[in-house]
Amino acid sequence: MEAQLHDSLVTLFESKLSTQMLLNLETCSRCGICTPACHAYASMPLAKYAPAYRAEVVRRIYKRYFTKQGRFMPVLGEAKDITDAALVELKEAAYSCTGCRRCMVYCPFGIDTQQIMSIAKLLLIGAQAEPETLSMLADMSVSKGENIDALKEGFLSGIKRLEDQVVEKWRSQGEHPIPTDVVGADVLYVALAGAHSIIPAAAVFNAAGEKWSLSFFEAVNFGAFVGDPTKTRLILDRIVNEAKRLKVKEVCICECGTAVRVAKQLKDAPFAVVGLTEMHARYLRQGRIKLRKLPGSYTYHDPCQIARNGGVYDEPRYILRHLVEDFREMSPDPKYNWCCGGGGGLVAMGEETLEFRMQSAKVKAEQMRGSKAEVVVTACENCHTQLSDLNRHYALGQRVVFLSSLVADALIP
Amino acid sequence: MATLYYLILAPMVYLAVAVSVLGTLWRIARLLRAPAAPPPPPIYPSRKPSWLFALGDALLLPSVFKHNAPLWAALGLFHLGLAALFLGHLELVADFKALQLIPHSIFLGKGLIGLTVLVCLMYFLCRRMVSPTKELSVPEDYLLLVLLLFTVLFGAQMDWARTWFGYSSMGVDEYRGYLSSLIRLKPSVEGVTSAGHSFMLVAHVFFANLLIMAFPFTKLMHAIFTFAMNKFRRG
Repeated sequence: MEAQLHDSLVTLFESKLSTQMLLNLETCSRCGICTPACHAYASMPLAKYAPAYRAEVVRRIYKRYFTKQGRFMPVLGEAKDITDAALVELKEAAYSCTGCRRCMVYCPFGIDTQQIMSIAKLLLIGAQAEPETLSMLADMSVSKGENIDALKEGFLSGIKRLEDQVVEKWRSQGEHPIPTDVVGADVLYVALAGAHSIIPAAAVFNAAGEKWSLSFFEAVNFGAFVGDPTKTRLILDRIVNEAKRLKVKEVCICECGTAVRVAKQLKDAPFAVVGLTEMHARYLRQGRIKLRKLPGSYTYHDPCQIARNGGVYDEPRYILRHLVEDFREMSPDPKYNWCCGGGGGLVAMGEETLEFRMQSAKVKAEQMRGSKAEVVVTACENCHTQLSDLNRHYALGQRVVFLSSLVADALIP
Repeated sequence: MATLYYLILAPMVYLAVAVSVLGTLWRIARLLRAPAAPPPPPIYPSRKPSWLFALGDALLLPSVFKHNAPLWAALGLFHLGLAALFLGHLELVADFKALQLIPHSIFLGKGLIGLTVLVCLMYFLCRRMVSPTKELSVPEDYLLLVLLLFTVLFGAQMDWARTWFGYSSMGVDEYRGYLSSLIRLKPSVEGVTSAGHSFMLVAHVFFANLLIMAFPFTKLMHAIFTFAMNKFRRG
């Protein structure tokens, strides 16, 4: 590794050393309580998948450059230089962690492995060794924000083609089943690039009589997946600026765990941020939508970023109580629900990670099978893709559906 | 030998305390000087008041109890044992009425508490030698356990060694004299270096000195950081 790159990586590492990060790096006693918490370790019991081991890959570099022990007695903590070999280790650690933070529930200190992995991801970016797919997707999102005027027309004609399908689900009173660019709307809905994320949500908004507007931008934040704080902010800013321009009261993020989490971390925004599941639960509570009961047996997969890291446990269950007769919990305590195995950018990397995703989420597949439900419901795009892949790979014979799709299908006047 | 005993029992103790106090203050100051970053979300479901639950997490280790009950029991006995030993050492410094609410001779337990801590340390050490904890461990983990083990071994079994050798000299009064002289900054080691089992005290103090000096530069700092960490998790 060239000296200049080495030095810039050390500087990059230092830029992440906030008080909380220092605590994360300096408190671990390597007791190993977190080991069985990780779905990857539980599915493939190799030490490299133990959360503390992953964190140690970063911590050894930290010790080498930022602690007295690492400088004067590196052998004690196995302190390591940043080398090409270290980058390979960092990549394996960072991209085998989905950032579900289940290990944080187990850890007696509450060490946040995901935060520590954010250092690994940043170093990989600095060395231009991050997964190309994620970087490319993040760049495309940023570029879309810079060239929205040129892309608007294509977007609007695409939306127009979806309107009939929205009306099929709910015949609305308004002129536009999918309104866009509505100044003064109460809600700005930020969807994903895909009809499945727009049509059901639009039908429910219209059924609830909501004054809403569809965002020109997709919610998913590839900047967060790749661990680039600058791109994460730029991608989020597109939505923030649009919400400010339209003077909306609320920004509603679609079923995308990471997008919800990133948006909810906004401070001092002149609007509230809410997830689609919370919005649907609110409509039900207020009597603004009514649902018929759907046949079959159902279970719910709590997306980590929405439940364990976002606190949205009750809302999906409230909706499901109104939707189905036969609901079965997937995990006795939803706080301990296994991660689907697709977070942290793994699903976005597609086929590249498929084999690892299937192997590392064996425990999830067993949990799905154990529920004996015909339908697995979830409220996150990543989870949906990963659970569908697991369903196929392990021949579970279940159906994986979005919660919002069920709500839209069950709407009654 | 007398010079070596003196160096360990007097100057090295002052050095250890100075290194430990200054090192710990430096570590805390470094944390406080570090830039603040937006905190990541806590773990849900959250419970209020978060500081109280964080304190409970730090002191009672409920997550360890839930996921590894034998380790929890060992950790509990070990930490309670350490606390009892600390209080026992306080009683060597001066008479504290509060500590004699239940009248007892010094040390309480006559080495049994130390023995319990010793057994726990052996368990921790053995645990480190078995996968998957083995792969997570670094030399520091073993070194600290060995230092603790020797400190406790020589310290807690002094009473036993005294009986074993049939010595009647060097007991609580001599320990008190030595500790008081250290505190007064007029170290006097004569009373504790002439007995047959003085080597036990010297070895105990030597390993304790190393441990005290290592404190701010090793993972032992978890004792100070645990509450802040748990508070972050609780939000």
